[in-house]
Amino acid sequence: MKLGRIVSYIVLVIVFFLMPLLLRHNAYYLHVFILCGINVIMAISLRAITTTGQISFGHAGFMSVGAYTSALLVMKLGLSTYAALILGAAAAMAVAAAIAYPITRVRTIYLAMLTLFFGELIRLVFTEWRGLTGGTSGIIGIPPLGTISIPGLATIDFSTKLPYSFFILVLALITILFFYGIERSYVGMTFKSIAQDESLAASIGTNVANFKALVFCISCFFAGLAGGFYAHYNAVLAPDTFGLFPSLYILVYVIVGGRRKFAGAIIGAIVLTLIPEVFRVVKEYQPFVFVALLFLVIFLLRGGLVTLPEQVKIQMEKIHVRKNENA
Amino acid sequence: MESLVQSIANGLMMGFIYVLVALGLSLVFSIMRIVQFAHGEIYMLGAYGVYFLCVKLGVPVFAAFVISAIVLALVGIVLERFFFRPFRGDVENSIIVSIGLILLLQTVASVFFGAQGKYIPEFLPGIMSIGSIRLPWERMLAVFAGITITILLFIFIRKTKTGQAMVAVSQDRDGAALQGINVNHISAISMAIGCALAAMAGALMGAIFQIDPAMGGFAMEKGIAVIILGGLGSIVGAVAGGIIIGLIDGIVPVFASTTIAYIIGFALIIIILIIRPKGLLGYE
Repeated sequence: MKLGRIVSYIVLVIVFFLMPLLLRHNAYYLHVFILCGINVIMAISLRAITTTGQISFGHAGFMSVGAYTSALLVMKLGLSTYAALILGAAAAMAVAAAIAYPITRVRTIYLAMLTLFFGELIRLVFTEWRGLTGGTSGIIGIPPLGTISIPGLATIDFSTKLPYSFFILVLALITILFFYGIERSYVGMTFKSIAQDESLAASIGTNVANFKALVFCISCFFAGLAGGFYAHYNAVLAPDTFGLFPSLYILVYVIVGGRRKFAGAIIGAIVLTLIPEVFRVVKEYQPFVFVALLFLVIFLLRGGLVTLPEQVKIQMEKIHVRKNENA
Repeated sequence: MESLVQSIANGLMMGFIYVLVALGLSLVFSIMRIVQFAHGEIYMLGAYGVYFLCVKLGVPVFAAFVISAIVLALVGIVLERFFFRPFRGDVENSIIVSIGLILLLQTVASVFFGAQGKYIPEFLPGIMSIGSIRLPWERMLAVFAGITITILLFIFIRKTKTGQAMVAVSQDRDGAALQGINVNHISAISMAIGCALAAMAGALMGAIFQIDPAMGGFAMEKGIAVIILGGLGSIVGAVAGGIIIGLIDGIVPVFASTTIAYIIGFALIIIILIIRPKGLLGYE
């Protein structure tokens, strides 16, 4: 990577780390920041699934598995919140593993429906299992993340939103670096080859099912991680938070952001999380703004938001050429 | 024993409404080859159409039913022309279009009619009782409508040129075009019929239960489940699938709960999608 690029990325990261500090006096802004972070993790992990040509309409369901598992492990078994976070993510991965192999043979449109129903199934199970999960009313009073004490430096206790902001930022950064690393590696190339032509990839010896199942499971691990974080951040959990619409929204973040480039999922998650919050003023008309943006992007920017810079460049060149012709 | 028979009856009655939704959805899916997730919202708008015409404007129920179906058929044609046709073949973006439409239509309903539940009057009030089995006339109407429409659709598809053209387009778009079939016209007609069916199902369902802007999601899930079970593109399959799922939804709650009925339904669909995506009688 060119030096200029590396520097600009580092600057970007520094800016993101400064943001919680700048926003620290406004709990609402911090909350939106944290939501963006959670959605970025969800969007990046979902995007990873799409790199093999698969799709998931039930991603929020795996998030809920992580959320409930983490919350219950802390509240019923007294584990540390950090251990619970990891185990929650592992639980989400385990649930994903249950269907990961069978779904590798399912074609796209049917896969969409299957994952949709699976996500709903998870939600229904959590709704029905009242003894464990409190049913539709859910769980309340989930303990916040445990205090981290770095001897000699500082004690971070999670009683305000600020520590959560930094924590989610770190989680998001880890997620981004992890998935970006995979995508640029040989493994990532294999994923893309599977997306382009499955039979061809198989014919050169790629174990297609293994790779598809692998990326599905890993992706759901991160969804579970985001879920666990959400549980401890929000202190309250209900099955309806993780229904069909959240799953659809994450898919929207990925596609509207732009599938061709890695940054698309990040941009989609951030922009489309901000839009509903920014337009809260128009209250019940807010979804119209969101939908308008959606349609604007897909009608004008076929490749997604991330293609905006190049589209602008193309339009500018067209204008430039036309000017030269007239001159 | 009696409650079992009652629950079977309830299940069958619900099943036929599911069949109506599934038939419309099947048309749209198989002929237009698009992911029309917003079909449930058409169903919802069908119910609200009757509400608006009947409760707000005082139009007689039956006329409201017909007008609502026609209006939504036209809405469907507009949607197909301006929202779905530009993205034909573009899987990702048609998903976004569908999701966008779901949001748009639901918000339109919330804004115009408010988010709380509303009621529309029944077409046939009253209950027929055979022994101790209660068969509300409205639900019997749903069954009757379901059967009639299925038969009409079957005849239309088998016996008319347009119907056969629709089958041709669903099998091979380009081949049909080569035969001189105007594929765009056929798409528009299928969308119109599909939406009319959804609107009717919504109105029938709305008369039995409450209507609210979110009722479309339920219809979509049931519709897709029926189609998967019965097989995409098969009318008989849709009927079989609808009856099976209706029966599950009718009988299981007696022994367990509604949620468990839905869980069983979904689990069944997931297994079928993995083992035999074509469904019981589908061909694709």
